[in-house]
Amino acid sequence: MKNRLRVLRAERDWSQADLAQRLEVSRQSVNAIETGKFDPSLPLAFKLARLFEMTIEGIFTDDSKG
Amino acid sequence: MTSPTKNPAQRRFFWRFAIAMLLYVLLLVPAVWGFVHYHPTGVLAYGLAVLPALPILGMLVVVGLYLAEEKDEFVRNMQIQSLLGGIGGTLAVVSVWGFLENFTQVRHLDLFLVYPLFWVFVGISTVVVRLRYR
Repeated sequence: MKNRLRVLRAERDWSQADLAQRLEVSRQSVNAIETGKFDPSLPLAFKLARLFEMTIEGIFTDDSKG
Repeated sequence: MTSPTKNPAQRRFFWRFAIAMLLYVLLLVPAVWGFVHYHPTGVLAYGLAVLPALPILGMLVVVGLYLAEEKDEFVRNMQIQSLLGGIGGTLAVVSVWGFLENFTQVRHLDLFLVYPLFWVFVGISTVVVRLRYR
């Protein structure tokens, strides 16, 4: 799933490790989500949304939407 | 499955697994020694024969505990894929080997080898899964 994590991180000057620490997950997880190789669960997506003070739709793009 | 010092769940897995391995060795030695020197029969023979398998069952429980305790969903997902690869690879080999034993002259595969074979396939799957998500 496409997402704006890399941009949102860059705006805050956070490394993948910084974001991982804030989310309490591994850096590998952040990398996999950011590169679209792994779709997070709803709880983790909400955690991301809370962290960036955005909606989930503001971070992730629904690829199946026409 | 993973290196011993990643997160608390992985550290617990490592130590529990190591303890189970140690118990396996500690129980295997007296079982073999008992059969060689005392040739037990009946219930005692069955009990002594099963003894070294108990820590192996323990290792399977340890894997289950790890999956239940791993909080990082991506890491858990990778581990589950590795374990499924291990199960699939093992079932594939033993199924093919079983038919080969039935119809050809290949050597009999002792069942106790199935468990280490499973971990060999888990190891191979772990490498493949990691490469996929690199």
